[in-house]
Amino acid sequence: MKKIKIKTNLWSGIVMGVLSIILLMLLPSQVRVPAYDSGAPSPRIIPGICLVGMLICAAALIIQSLVFKKEKIFEFDWAVEKPCILLILMLCVYTAMIIYLGFVIASVIIFPLMLVYSGERKPPIYIFTIAAGIGIFFLFKFVFHVSLPTLPFLGG
Amino acid sequence: MGDIQMIIQAVGQVFTPLNLIMIFGGLVLGMIVGCIPGLSVTLGIILLLPLTYSFPSADTAIIALLAVYVGGMYGGSISAITLNTPGTNSAIATTFDGYPLAKQGKVKKALDTSLFASTFGGLMSALLLLICASFITKLVANFASVEYFSMAILGISLIAGVSGDSLPKGVLSGLLGIFIASIGMDAVTGVTRFSFGMSTLKFGIDMLPAMIALIALTQVVQKLRDFVISHGKLDDANQIDREGLTGKEMKSILPACTRSSVIASILGAMPGVGGGVAQFMCYNECRRASKHPEKFGKGSLEGIAAAEASNNAVVGSAMIPLLTLGIPGDGVTALLLGAFILHGIQPGPTMFTKQGVIAYSIILGCLVANVFLYPIGLLLTRAVAKIIQVRYTYLAPVIIMFCFAGAFAATGNTKELILVAAILVFSYVLVVLDISSTPLMLGMILADIMEMNFVTSMMSYDRDYLIFFKRPISCVILILTVILVISMLRINKKVEALNKAQLEEMQREHSEAGKPAEEPREKGTDWAGLEKLEEAEEKPIEKLSDKPKP
Repeated sequence: MKKIKIKTNLWSGIVMGVLSIILLMLLPSQVRVPAYDSGAPSPRIIPGICLVGMLICAAALIIQSLVFKKEKIFEFDWAVEKPCILLILMLCVYTAMIIYLGFVIASVIIFPLMLVYSGERKPPIYIFTIAAGIGIFFLFKFVFHVSLPTLPFLGG
Repeated sequence: MGDIQMIIQAVGQVFTPLNLIMIFGGLVLGMIVGCIPGLSVTLGIILLLPLTYSFPSADTAIIALLAVYVGGMYGGSISAITLNTPGTNSAIATTFDGYPLAKQGKVKKALDTSLFASTFGGLMSALLLLICASFITKLVANFASVEYFSMAILGISLIAGVSGDSLPKGVLSGLLGIFIASIGMDAVTGVTRFSFGMSTLKFGIDMLPAMIALIALTQVVQKLRDFVISHGKLDDANQIDREGLTGKEMKSILPACTRSSVIASILGAMPGVGGGVAQFMCYNECRRASKHPEKFGKGSLEGIAAAEASNNAVVGSAMIPLLTLGIPGDGVTALLLGAFILHGIQPGPTMFTKQGVIAYSIILGCLVANVFLYPIGLLLTRAVAKIIQVRYTYLAPVIIMFCFAGAFAATGNTKELILVAAILVFSYVLVVLDISSTPLMLGMILADIMEMNFVTSMMSYDRDYLIFFKRPISCVILILTVILVISMLRINKKVEALNKAQLEEMQREHSEAGKPAEEPREKGTDWAGLEKLEEAEEKPIEKLSDKPKP
């Protein structure tokens, strides 16, 4: 796949500019003004200042890129970025699995898959990883007194 | 209570069996994460942070985290010497002389020099911290909420200004961090902000999941990606011999250690200047002052001492602005500030009056960690060095599991896990856009302090928004902020150019001596953007390069 050259100054400006405009438009509906005046400044002021500041910085980045031709290129090479994106996706699935199936089951399923994807062929590493998942669960449960998510019939 | 009384009480608090065990554990953890290229001190701190909730006292927790910092700074030199690959980017200069000496079969000598210099530098800066901290807090004792707000602005501006080569991106990232921290229920008015009706966002985004996702997980994912791309290829490490550092050699490197420690302590106390910058300046200065400058780059003990004393000296001195003013000196101290807040400690001028014993316990803990570093380093360096050769597939799943378990443990709510996943995806977008996540993290950490002091100031001065310019000290701080940001940007550019030239020169000399010095492989830190220096280096994987538009 062809490498994509991303002009980071320009795209940062566009993405963050659009984001801050959308959030500024949503500000009145997302941050209600309190019915009674407590003497405190409006709760909109800090997010408002941040969003306006972000918009100014975004505009500065676009000007830097288009007017002053100052740019920094990020070369998006799919061959290099694919493992990264897949690993992040795996971690998102892992999150969902922890919530619905529990920490141990999620760890026992996801990490061996991750090792397979990483090209790992040594069985001891798989055994160690599964044992670590179970060990960390019990470490948190009995040493740190934190019950990690697990299915009800497993004590959750 | 006077300072001496507080110090005496703090001594009693530090020298408990639990604290000493924590210092030992923290040093070992720091050495391990520091010596593995691709992992960093920040990862060690984040891994330990959720576990510190179960510690009986806040000072024990902070001391353990500081021990990780101290151990990690030394640990970085182990892989620099044995693999020619710095474990942390503060150990880049260590490769210049450490690896050539290792190639001569004197690995133990190089490691011992590094250990001695690290301990020396660390001790010196910890003593400086002990002497200066109380004095500085007395100077700023009359600060009110207006001045605190201005100080928070100063802190965030400096980090935003120096954490990348683009000021707009740094400021944008910092503002984004403050905005993210403002999501959820407003503590004063009780109004919900930008929750979009989601219960996950109703109570805001906690610091810990954000830190875990932005720093720890990004480092691990990136390192695992490198593993996949390289098909699990490992570097060949040098075998460790038994010929250590002699007393005479120790004496010969003392001037370099002293010079380097003094320069690095001054640099480290300046917010925004980390060990990455200090090491090159110290190395250059020690070479200039050396009786044998021709030996630098070819296995000089003075060269190793200069580099290593500097990066450990930064540890103590970077704590000076953090403890006295509440301003983090670099990315690691920004994390420590987060840890302080999570444990209910508010660093700053009032810390020495309200929580004086805790403050001195932390300083003494830092001192003790540096004292312990030497014997622990002598005992365990050989064992820790073997970890470099452990396949990363053993480590990565365990680290990820700890990250998720730690994020959950912070509040015991699964919403933290959702936030970790969401922020991880967001951090990847930031990487593609070349926006450093350091100011973002700092913005999140400082947001509460800023808003609290802003609201207090507004309520005290009847919503007079110009009060920050009317109060003289606050006005001076804000003017100083602008001046410092501009001057730091200029200095930053000069230092980057100097460092780049120095690195190129060293690499030339190195290639003549043997294996060429490798680029630091701390891609995780690249991604998390914690150390600005690395941005000056070539990034072979991210392929970020300055290319003016044709």
